[in-house]
Amino acid sequence: MGDPQSDELGKWEVQVRRGGLGLAVLAILWPQRLYGLEILRRLDSDAGMSIPEGTIYPLLSRMKAEGLVDSEWVEAEAGHPRKYYRLTDPGRRRVREMAHSWRGFAAGLERLLAPMEGELR
Amino acid sequence: MSNDAGKAHLDCYLDQVRRHLKGLPQVEVQEIVAELRSHVLDKVEGTPTPQKVEAAIAALGSPREVARLNLTERVAAELEADRSPLTVLRGVGRLAGLSLYGAFAGLVSFTGYAMAAAFLVTAAVKPFAREHAGLWRVPDAHDNYSFSLGVNSSPHGQELLGWWIIPIGIAAGLVLGWLTWRFGLFSVRLMGRSARRPR
Repeated sequence: MGDPQSDELGKWEVQVRRGGLGLAVLAILWPQRLYGLEILRRLDSDAGMSIPEGTIYPLLSRMKAEGLVDSEWVEAEAGHPRKYYRLTDPGRRRVREMAHSWRGFAAGLERLLAPMEGELR
Repeated sequence: MSNDAGKAHLDCYLDQVRRHLKGLPQVEVQEIVAELRSHVLDKVEGTPTPQKVEAAIAALGSPREVARLNLTERVAAELEADRSPLTVLRGVGRLAGLSLYGAFAGLVSFTGYAMAAAFLVTAAVKPFAREHAGLWRVPDAHDNYSFSLGVNSSPHGQELLGWWIIPIGIAAGLVLGWLTWRFGLFSVRLMGRSARRPR
């Protein structure tokens, strides 16, 4: 049996990360095209988001169905083809809108957290 | 030799994924399997020993789990494009065998649409089969009653609503159909969200 408060905090963290996952994947693709494993590694190293590996491809597939990303198979030096994903124009528009919304939300929360500044160090 | 064994292990895993994806069009299955193969080959970095392949496969998930994730996302994407009751029912049906909740949602959806159809058909048939169509209370051998909707063939059945079955049947059928449709949409979205759960 785990600590109930710690369990609740864990659930809340999962909810927050789930909310940001779509934005994170699209943002990672902003500067360049990447293949699935690279996206997973960037999610982990840059955003601390460790998602089950099997979930990334269905998510990318859905983003492709929504027209947010496009994909192409490329023969890689590794000796096998890789499927690269890149943002489409609608995908770029979407990630800009999402980033704007996220920044507004985060700035509002920061203002609320400001009085706790000393406690958080 | 060891690398061959690793590749054979990967082929076996991908065959199992393919089998679990049998509800999808062949082109999509091939695309999913090719991408999983590429992923595993990237993970093992050029040396597909059985140990490395096994570790890469374990990180992806069991064939059933990988298939569940892919099917759930595809069904959810289809529903965003077309939310007609038939598409929703087909989507719920495709997810029914993948999890306990999927089976529950499939059962509720099938029952809900069947009951809605029974109400609507009974209301539609009533003007043409005045004496036989309706909501019936039928006694059994133990002095208990059972209720049935539709055409009754028992001579002991007692009809309960008369002509009222027409407006009541239409209203009940439409409300039940709408509720079942909304439940199906909710269920597919719920399964889609839970499939995308970060750690």
